[in-house]
Amino acid sequence: MTEQGLIQPRRKRRRLPFALLAGSVIVAVLVILVLLAKLIAPYPFDQFHIHDRFSPPSLKYWAGTDEYGRDVFSRVLIGSQLSLTLGISATVVGIGLGVPLGLVAGYRRGIFDELIMRSLDLLMAFPPILLVLLILVVTPPALMKTAIAIGILSTPYIARVTRSVTLDLMSAEFIEAARARGERDWYILLRELLPNIWPVLMVEISLRVVFAVLLGAVLSFLNFGVQPPSADWGLMISSGRAFVDIAPWISLAPGLAMGVTVLGISLAGDGLRELMDPRLRGQR
Amino acid sequence: MNSAAPLLDVGNLTVRYASEGESFTALHDVSFTLQPGRALGIVGESGSGKSSIVGAILGILGPAAQMQGNVHFENRDLATLTPKSRRAVLGKRIGSVFQDPFTSLNPALRVGRQIAEPMIWHLGLSKAEAMNRARSLLGDMGIQEPVAVANAFPHQLSGGMKQRVLIAAAMACEPTLLILDEPTTALDVTVESQILDLLEALRQSTQISLLFISHNLRVVKRVCDDVAVMYAGQIVEMGAAEYVLGAPSHPYTKGLLASLPILQAGSRGLRLPSISGHIPQPSRPELGCVFASRCPFSEPACNASPQNLTTPPGSHQIRCWKALSVGSWPAQVAVSTVAPKFRRGDALVNATDLRKSYKAFGGWAGWRRLLPSLQNARSANSTPVAVDTVSLSLSPGEVLGLVGESGCGKSSLGRLILQLLRQDSGSVEYDGANLGALSSKALQNFRREAQIVFQNVGSALNPRHSIGEALERPLVLFDLVPASQRIRRVEDLLSMVQLPLSYRTRFPHQLSGGERQRVAIARALATNPRFIVCDEPVSALDVSVQAAIVNLLADLRDEFGLAYLFISHDLAVVAQISDRIAVMYRGRICETGPTAEILERPQHPYTQRLLASAMYENPKQADRVDGQTVGTAHS
Amino acid sequence: MAYYALKRLGAVFLILIIMSLVIFLSTHALPKNTAAMILGHYSTAETQAALEHKLGLDQPLRIQYLRWASGVLHGDLGDSLVMNRPVAPILWRALANSAVLAGAAMVMVSIVGLSLGVIAAVWRGHSTDHAIAIFTYLGLAVPEFYWGLVLILIFSTTFHLLPSSGSGSVSMGFGRYSSHLVLPVITLTFSLLAHVSRLTRSSMLEALDTNYVRAARARGLPERQVILRHALRNALMPAITVLAQNFGFLIGGIVAVETVFAYPGLGQLLVYALQRLDLPVMQAAVLMMTATFCITNLAADLLYGWINPRIRYGGGVD
Repeated sequence: MTEQGLIQPRRKRRRLPFALLAGSVIVAVLVILVLLAKLIAPYPFDQFHIHDRFSPPSLKYWAGTDEYGRDVFSRVLIGSQLSLTLGISATVVGIGLGVPLGLVAGYRRGIFDELIMRSLDLLMAFPPILLVLLILVVTPPALMKTAIAIGILSTPYIARVTRSVTLDLMSAEFIEAARARGERDWYILLRELLPNIWPVLMVEISLRVVFAVLLGAVLSFLNFGVQPPSADWGLMISSGRAFVDIAPWISLAPGLAMGVTVLGISLAGDGLRELMDPRLRGQR
Repeated sequence: MNSAAPLLDVGNLTVRYASEGESFTALHDVSFTLQPGRALGIVGESGSGKSSIVGAILGILGPAAQMQGNVHFENRDLATLTPKSRRAVLGKRIGSVFQDPFTSLNPALRVGRQIAEPMIWHLGLSKAEAMNRARSLLGDMGIQEPVAVANAFPHQLSGGMKQRVLIAAAMACEPTLLILDEPTTALDVTVESQILDLLEALRQSTQISLLFISHNLRVVKRVCDDVAVMYAGQIVEMGAAEYVLGAPSHPYTKGLLASLPILQAGSRGLRLPSISGHIPQPSRPELGCVFASRCPFSEPACNASPQNLTTPPGSHQIRCWKALSVGSWPAQVAVSTVAPKFRRGDALVNATDLRKSYKAFGGWAGWRRLLPSLQNARSANSTPVAVDTVSLSLSPGEVLGLVGESGCGKSSLGRLILQLLRQDSGSVEYDGANLGALSSKALQNFRREAQIVFQNVGSALNPRHSIGEALERPLVLFDLVPASQRIRRVEDLLSMVQLPLSYRTRFPHQLSGGERQRVAIARALATNPRFIVCDEPVSALDVSVQAAIVNLLADLRDEFGLAYLFISHDLAVVAQISDRIAVMYRGRICETGPTAEILERPQHPYTQRLLASAMYENPKQADRVDGQTVGTAHS
Repeated sequence: MAYYALKRLGAVFLILIIMSLVIFLSTHALPKNTAAMILGHYSTAETQAALEHKLGLDQPLRIQYLRWASGVLHGDLGDSLVMNRPVAPILWRALANSAVLAGAAMVMVSIVGLSLGVIAAVWRGHSTDHAIAIFTYLGLAVPEFYWGLVLILIFSTTFHLLPSSGSGSVSMGFGRYSSHLVLPVITLTFSLLAHVSRLTRSSMLEALDTNYVRAARARGLPERQVILRHALRNALMPAITVLAQNFGFLIGGIVAVETVFAYPGLGQLLVYALQRLDLPVMQAAVLMMTATFCITNLAADLLYGWINPRIRYGGGVD
């Protein structure tokens, strides 16, 4: 019966969750800044101001200057391009590998499922950072390679979510109805399943972007990622370490930028989760 | 007992849910009393607000609810109690049992401990004493191995056993009031019947009062002394059960009783009485009668002023100003004067010795357990044999009913016949061709002619596709109509299932359950099929909507000469539409025959038991079907 | 249960074998002239060949692996190329240091993370919940090394309360010894807190929304008992798996945090080896970290099985 339990279903919520709203605003502003970074930045990111080394934040240098007198604010702005490029391209790699694998595993079940999921388990049994470090050490560093390495690490997570949503959907009767009218596999996968998977996947995707941005920062902090003189956030924090007692802003500014970025993406993801949580929507 | 001092006195209870500027009234001005030792039933369909009454009494409505009115229990107003003093009443003076026994027991705690807990807390018993009492309580609940059951975890018990355990936990502190919220809805009829027996026995031995919430009129009639009928948040009729359910006065009660399928072979020429439309939500009781839009007796005066609950002389409480002047509910409709007799001919569908068992994947299952995975490493342990050597045949235009309880394999059988599942052995012939031997192209032709309608109206339609897209897809797939005429064909389909043409652009979440089921039927009709498997097509719907869907299926059968395999757990529904009935039990078909014969002269003991339970009379001969052994998980 | 544990143990060995292969092969996928890279620009063909011979790089890969693997099984991890000493003692000392750090951090994360998650769930929507969310998000928002820097800036550079780098030894007294641990442990804990507490919160919310919790409340049980016995017990199961998963991130965190605090642990050893291409040290450190991770996961799986009656007592899984 369509009897509900004890609590009557609440009416559908119209209001967007606050987290989603705040997160989306931050992400939107961020995207604009990234796209217009070259125009907004007051100075070229690699311009030396020898007479203004270590100058604290001021009207002239909004976030101060570093040991070569380079404008920290401009560098942080340009650095956002590197971080987001890494975050997004790594996640795209992860989606490109993870979604098809998860879909096929959940749709075909049986031996496909076992083979795919066990191999991905194996990948997850490796502490994440070690694999990337190994790959980066073995070959000369490059941004795209870091992205691919991190993307491969993201694959099991994305595939797992895709598979579990697919499995849930497979018991939905509209899928059986499609099979009962003899739809081909590709139609069921692409037209019936995939559109229902994206919303749930969005949450996982936001987590993966964050993961990639942070891991990228750790790698360049350890000097295995982007090489100087690039204006990479992790790299800036790392090179500012030596001057943390006399010019803390060199390290603090890029960290702050990263914090806001990660916070925005996480909030957006959390908000999405809240929006889609069936218990919050008042539907079973 | 002093009838002047009611045990429970609910007065002017109104519950509103307000969120984001929208408010919706779940309960409007509900008042009733329950005398000590009596049993009051509250009946209503989904959305009637009956469960909110339980929520208000127990104080678990949730933060979004605003509650007015009072709930006096043993001369204290529960609505004004602090949470702490309310807890001293709950469990001690008021026991409660909820709908779903499968999820109402904590999976991580032993059953005995869950029964003992309230006794330790409320009665101050020691743990050992409480455990002793718990075991003897289980014995009182008709459980034969109380010690073993007390030591078991919930997943090791069957559904009926779980419900007995929950009743034991509710009775632990010997409360004066037992609240039962749909206690048997999730159970099979034969098990339901045993639970009702148990409740009757408890009433006799303990003098406990019952507040019994249910959508099932027959269950309420069997258990309760008094009945309150709820509609759209209001009590529309209340009084002694024999009068309210025997000689109803309010049009809604009349309609509800009339649309109940009766345990009798239906005729091809007759249609069930039904209530059109669905429950309005949110209700606006201040504007007049809430039932007026669906009431065949309504007139403009009904909407002039709010209806009040009044007691006409010599009658019980009724919320309808013209209650005494309305006649009986429009009875069965005859669609043809001469009831067409159905004759069996050459088989359209012929299934022979079908067998299907679900096995875990051979060697790989072992590996799956071996490799550590962080989550979800727990693979499903499936039931061994779902369908065990089943043969059946169906003529063109014939309706074959397939009844059985949950897990008996009836759904698997339906899917085997449509070749959505592959049988382990046996064969299915359609129109003389062996489906197993067909090429995929020839099978496509079968897919066009044989369709399926499902139980779960929630997931039968893809939430991302509009109704129009859903109905158009079969037309595109089989290239049935030229592109220019597709919209028109979609509109034809919508009108066939009596839906407005504007629904073409809507999405499933904008439709009610009954409307969604109509769309699903239209989608099945899109390919001009000759055979449709209806898998519990009305089980998820309210009684008043059920009848309308059964009628629709009967209309379509007559118009297009369709053959149905009509699968249901509800013998009365099956009887209404089927020419023949097959009874399924534990993977096998135990009896097949013309509907009237099965109902009048059941041969197999299981059919007899099913029939007895479905009559909701007190079956003294009730054998115990419910597995009484620990370790048989039932889901 | 014993059978279950045994199977899991077998799986760990299988994974370790596969992992050792992966580690070995990937370190040997280095550019062909490893020796040249190690020796620098001034090496000659002879010195390169001598080094290759010393490393066994002139042997077939299969033989190299077997030699290395049997060495590992006998506790012989080879000699460090840069430090010119056996790897094993260096590794054990680093491991001991890291284990103290990681262990302390895990204990802190478990206690603080679980409690914050439960509190946030119980006070859902209240300011307490929001405050916990903001606090834990702060830890998640920037990489752990950044908070390390900030802590150094506050507690060492500005107020001179705690040492900013190195490790003490127990012989210096417990106070001195643990003072070196405070900042790194706080940093690691903070970075993992968000994940654990958010997940505990959501699985706790899920548990609080179940029918059995509703039934327990309707029996008038005190709220404390409902939360701790009925809800938490079930919410703990997913939390344990996440704690184990977090151990993987902890290993990542340790590499960065040990670098920031110049703490002589496994992570710093690994970075050192990676930067100088010290193959034996690299292999040993990676293998050690992977093994630790696998064993933690095994422990979590067993704990999970022990808590979950469906696994512990059989009778159908899910």
